[in-house]
Amino acid sequence: MNELHDHIVKSIDEEQRRLLGELLRMGDMAVAQLEASLDVVERRDDRAAERIVGNDEAIDALEHETSHDVMRLALRGPMARDLRELLAALRIASDIERIGDYAANVAKRSMALNLAPPLPQVRGLTALGGVAARQLRDVLVAYRDNDADAAEHIRARDAELDLQYTSLFRELLIYMMEDPRSITACTHLLFMAKNIERIGDHVTNIAENVWFRARGEDALPRRERRDGTNAIRPPPG
Amino acid sequence: MTDLARTSTINETFDAAANLELRQALRPSPKLKLSTHGLEFHYGRARALRNVQLDVADKRVTALIGPSGCGKSTLLRVFNRIYALYPGQVARGEVLLDGLDILTPDYPLALLRSKVGMVFQKPVPFPMTIFENVAYGIRHHERLSKAEMEVRVEAALRQAALWDEAKDKLRQSALGLSGGQQQRLCIARAVALRPEVLLLDEPTSALDPISTSRIEQLIDELKRDYTIVIVTHNMQQAARVSDNTAFMYLGDLVEQGTTETIFSNPSMRQTEDYITGRFG
Repeated sequence: MNELHDHIVKSIDEEQRRLLGELLRMGDMAVAQLEASLDVVERRDDRAAERIVGNDEAIDALEHETSHDVMRLALRGPMARDLRELLAALRIASDIERIGDYAANVAKRSMALNLAPPLPQVRGLTALGGVAARQLRDVLVAYRDNDADAAEHIRARDAELDLQYTSLFRELLIYMMEDPRSITACTHLLFMAKNIERIGDHVTNIAENVWFRARGEDALPRRERRDGTNAIRPPPG
Repeated sequence: MTDLARTSTINETFDAAANLELRQALRPSPKLKLSTHGLEFHYGRARALRNVQLDVADKRVTALIGPSGCGKSTLLRVFNRIYALYPGQVARGEVLLDGLDILTPDYPLALLRSKVGMVFQKPVPFPMTIFENVAYGIRHHERLSKAEMEVRVEAALRQAALWDEAKDKLRQSALGLSGGQQQRLCIARAVALRPEVLLLDEPTSALDPISTSRIEQLIDELKRDYTIVIVTHNMQQAARVSDNTAFMYLGDLVEQGTTETIFSNPSMRQTEDYITGRFG
């Protein structure tokens, strides 16, 4: 696509750049929160976990700021790509905010996890989280570069995350059946895994909005079924 | 509500939604009221329109947008051949109104003018009473009794949403009305002739926001009975009032489509640059 012309009203370009910058900053913070929360799970560090929970406020504050910027730009009566830019920004901001919440949740539950002996499945969780963090990082780059093709690719890769989540779910079920004393810790781990799986869904939403912003009404092709844990039945006996 | 009743309500809701979708899919596409084919227009030697192919759907609002001098007002002026009043102005090509070419010399001008009404940028009431302003045009075309005329004038003023404000001063001069009221009077004057197509050339550019809203509401009501073509410099207005939008640039019709598509995802770069306010 050829280079875009500037707006005749220069402050529109400035405000749009500011909005994009804020969203990317929000996104970077969410990546950092997610990676830090995986780290504290591994290191069993309660104090670091508390810091992560406290940091979430900063992401929420940035989301407030982006809504103000969106409102100011909306007052100008944007059309076409400017209109899509705003719609996408609003939706992407709320996706990032949710991702931040999930990352903080993982950190919060890690403290409960630390009350019990370490579980081997923690490694599965951090691997899952690593995939989610990479996805999030990639979709933010696609957003920055307005790259619809990359967004489509990232969206398709969510299936991988779902597959890993489903297998971790299975593994934890079997473990709990073998050793009922592990149920409390395993349940926390299950919720943490679910949080990370949801982060993947929000990354997918962001990817769809990157596509929408770049291409307009074109709908992305349908995606195959995702989280397969609802099909898992308890074994007989 | 019992669970069973609740379930059946939900089912009904979903069935209704499915029905609506089906009905919308089956709804016939609106018929064409007006269309141009290979339309060219010259002011003397200067070419103002180049090979314009425009479709205007029946009982819909079509907005013409574009920078000054792009030919949108010229195009509007072709639709009622008002340009023919001026020497040196020539239109070539085809302009079909209900399938008949209005550019052929044997298309009766009086018929055209009764089918196609026009309202201009500046409200220009005649220096006479409100009643006479509306009755004036009707007298040109029809002989009506006093009682019949009163009915027609009232109907026109009601259609133009001016009746409540004007009914007690019908015998007063129209020049005493506010700008917004005067513009609605001009619309009443146009609809009094029961046209089929209404051409509006920047009808609100001289009005304040409240009067503008009144006219926009009126446009929304009038499209039940009339096919409306509106020229506007205000993109937000085009987005608010029209069903279809055509973008013109330097005498070319660059792009036309549903208003939603044009303003959310236009396909031509020129359209996008113009409606987003970028340097071309």
